[in-house]
Formats: sequence, C-alpha cells, structure tokens
Amino acid sequence: MTETIGLWVGAIFTIGIYSFLYKENPLYRLAEHLVVGISTGFGIAITYTQVLRPKLIEPLANGEQGAWLLLIPAILGLLYITRFFPSVGWLSRYPMAFLMGAGMGVGFPLSMKSLVLRQLEASLTPLYETGMAWDIVLGNIVLVLGTLAALIYFFFSKPHKGPFFGTGSKIGIWVIMVGFGATFGFTVMGRISLLIGRIQFLLGDWLHIIK
Amino acid sequence: MSIWEKMLNVDRRWIFLLIGIACVVPFFTPLGLPILPSQEVISIYDYIEDLSTDNAMFVGFDFDPGTAAENMPMGVAVLRHAFARNVPVFITAYTPLGQGMAGMAIDELTNPATGDYFEYVNWDAWAEIRDQGFTERADIEEAWLAAGNTLPENARGWIFEGRDIAFLGYLPYFHLVILGMSSSIVSQFPTDVGGTPLEEMPMYQDHKSLRDIDLAVTTAGSSACVAWITYGREKIGLPIAFGVTAVMATDYYIYIQSGQIIGQMGGLRGAAEYETLLLDNDYCKNPGKAYIGMDVQNIAHLLIIFLVVLGNIAFFAGGFNKKTKLKGRR
Repeated sequence: MTETIGLWVGAIFTIGIYSFLYKENPLYRLAEHLVVGISTGFGIAITYTQVLRPKLIEPLANGEQGAWLLLIPAILGLLYITRFFPSVGWLSRYPMAFLMGAGMGVGFPLSMKSLVLRQLEASLTPLYETGMAWDIVLGNIVLVLGTLAALIYFFFSKPHKGPFFGTGSKIGIWVIMVGFGATFGFTVMGRISLLIGRIQFLLGDWLHIIK
Repeated sequence: MSIWEKMLNVDRRWIFLLIGIACVVPFFTPLGLPILPSQEVISIYDYIEDLSTDNAMFVGFDFDPGTAAENMPMGVAVLRHAFARNVPVFITAYTPLGQGMAGMAIDELTNPATGDYFEYVNWDAWAEIRDQGFTERADIEEAWLAAGNTLPENARGWIFEGRDIAFLGYLPYFHLVILGMSSSIVSQFPTDVGGTPLEEMPMYQDHKSLRDIDLAVTTAGSSACVAWITYGREKIGLPIAFGVTAVMATDYYIYIQSGQIIGQMGGLRGAAEYETLLLDNDYCKNPGKAYIGMDVQNIAHLLIIFLVVLGNIAFFAGGFNKKTKLKGRR
C-alpha cells in the first residue's frame, strides 16, 4: 500500500514538473517547492541521525572520556546561527574563517598536485617514440598543439596578430569550439537520459505497460 | 513571413512533443541496436573482474535523485558485478540524498520480485556462524548451507551483511572523510547506517583503512568525484573509477589520459555499456534499465540531429546570417 502511494505521488509530481513544458502552472510550482523542502528536510534528518546524534549528543550524554572537547566544534557550529541576529552576526565569521583556513590548508597541496601538476605532466607527452602506432602519434600531436593553441587564445597581453599569436589563437578557438560541441552533445545525451528515466518510471513502475 | 522564418519561429512546444513521442515509441518497438562497450568502461569491468573475496572496494553513491536516471544504473551494475564475485563492498554517499539512492540500489539488487537477485542475509541472521569463529567467505557460506539454508530459485547468491557489504552512508564534508579513512575507516564510520559496529565486521578486519582497499568507484552527479581523486588517489594511490553524468563526462576524460583513473562510465551510455558486459558474461539474465534506454536514446538523438540540421538550413537559406534579426518572436 505504502509503495503504491509512493508510486502515485511520484507519477503525479513527475507529470507536474513536465507540465512546465506547456506552460507554468500551480502543480508545477507545488512540485518545485516540495522538491526543495523535502530535500532539505531529508538532509536535516540524515545529518541528525548520522552525525549529530552519534558524534555529538550521545558522547556528551553518556559522559564519554574526552567528550567535552566536542563542545569546541559544537559551539563553533552554533555560531553560524548568529547570522540571523545582526547585532552579533559578526561571530559567524569565526567558524567560516576556521573552515576556509583549514580547507585551504588541507586541500591546496593535494588539489594543486592532482588537478594542475598531474594534468601538466600528462600534457608533456612525447610526440613520437620508436614503435608508437601512428594514431597515438597523431593523438599526441593534437593534444599538445591543441593545448598550446587554446592557451594562446586566452593570452590577452599580446594582440592576436601575426603567425604565432594570430594563427595560434585561431586554431585555439577551433579547439575550444570542438570542446564545446562535445560538451553540448553529451549535455543533450544527459537531458534525454533523464527524460528516459522518468518515462521508464511512468510507463514501467507506475503503469506497468513496459518492462 | 517566409517559410524559413516560420520554421525558425515554430512554437518550441511542438519540438517538446516530438521529443516526447520519440522517447516513448521505441519502448514499444525495440530496435535492438548493438551497444559496443568502450575501452574506458571495459577497463573498469576488467579491474573488478580481477578482484576476489580477499579484496575490497568502495562504491560511492555521490549523486542526488536529479541525476539518478544516469547514475543509478551505473551503481547497480557495479554492485551487481561485485556481489556476484563476492568482493566486499563499502557503500558511502557524498550527500544525504545519496544515502537514499544507495539504499534503493541495494533494495533493487536484493528484491526477489526482480527475478534475478541476491539473497540478503542481515547481520543478526548469521550471528551464530560468526560466534563459531567463521570469517572467511567460503567458510561462512558452507556453514550457512550446513545450517539448513537453501538458495532460493532465481537468487544468484547470498550477501552476508558485514562480510560482503557494509552500508556506511553519508557524512558531511566528505572530502575530509576520505582523508580520515586513509588512516582508519572506523574513525569516520564507527557503525554502519543500521548501527552495527564496523569493528565487529569480518570485512573490516581485513580492510581497516583506504590503504587496504583495491578500488573506489564513485557514481557522481557533481564534482564529488574529484574529491576521490584529490584525497584518495593523490594521497594514498587508491585506484579510482568514475561513473559520471553525460554533462560531466567531457570534463573528466582528462583524468583517464593522465592515468589518474582506471576508467569512466559516461552517462546512460556508459551504464548501458557496463550492463552489456554483465549480460554478455552471464552476470544477469535480463538487460538493465540503461541498456533498454539506449534504443530510445538513439532515436531521440537522430531526431535532434535532424532538427539541428533543419534549423541551420532554414537559417542560411533564409539569409538570416546577413540580417540583424528575425521578424517574428525571436
């Protein structure tokens, strides 16, 4: 019974959301607001049961050894709420500053390594080595020249004229356009996939007219 | 108004209707177009194929319902493969809603109504076997059979909670959780979502930190997957595989080229390719949702290509590339 109700609710709100394609209407607005509200509520409930209760409330309530240390992050967290009171709102800057500082300290070296240096390393590939297949060589040339051309396009300290900056930036814009084209293609695929998922739900799980 | 201008001013709702029809009709008249797995998907499949009950992997359900149509089939396919090979799986979530998604994936794989499922043995059900000191997967199954249990028809095997699966769920600031798990998993997840202490689980005894883990597959609808690269791959060399939405796929191909990930499933197509590999290798009886959806995807893409070409013909034939604006609504 519960499952059937869930299916009907899901189906009605799926149709409600897609009804926006015809024109905006109250059912769409209701579905839109419910998505936001339910997501937030679900998030709060999960955060309480998975984090706050086992990692803060229960250790403090049970008087576990060293549990008083948990009061420090708890108080820092509570300071966020001072944003709602203008006279003491400045206190919320402390947890934010802590998070930003700790986040930068922890994340910067690893992010720099994984997102920048590794990619640089991967771009510094040999164009040709003995025994390398021709398609790999071609791929390496496209990779290196394409990267350089795209970088030249975004180099604004020199006018994009002449054989190096002029031609380089023209090739660069083509490379970027190819990238945009691929992204657009994948985006279309993604949006259609989401529609397919909902149609499978409506025709399969709800109406049982497809497998 | 010329015919070309009328074409360019067509009410977009007609196009929505056409796409809607193109996405419904193929469900009733399947074309059965072949799906050829790409190398980046085969790499993930082969990697998991080489894992066994002595290894362990993480599967991250790092997406929300908004991208479930793409990410869920990937997560289900990878879990099915791991369960079939008795590879212990730790399941996590980057967002609160991701935990719900992971729960749905487990339900789908353990639901007898699907006709091709795994029989879930919860933690308390096999307590006596644990009390007898059995911790190895083969010994546990043997003792379970000796206790008078039989595998139901249509079930592919048993999943012993705590030996084959640990549903760890969601924690906030998950990038820091990954960092913490590189030292100790239990420091971040003392219990699973059901409250079972992780330290009591046999699968934890052999895999106490991410350094003991052989693969992490993140099915992501956001940049969550980058956290696994940054804090898992770079910090401790954890092998990573991506299952990302189609929109994200182009952004993450670079990690294959740089060797930071072993492979990637991109969008519904990536999931369908993995399902094809499972189907071809007898890991499932019936095609999954992604596989079925590919016929629809192909027809919808053909229609969109046709409309794009038609729009361009109208644009240039009407000379609108030389005019400043159209006369109609555009």
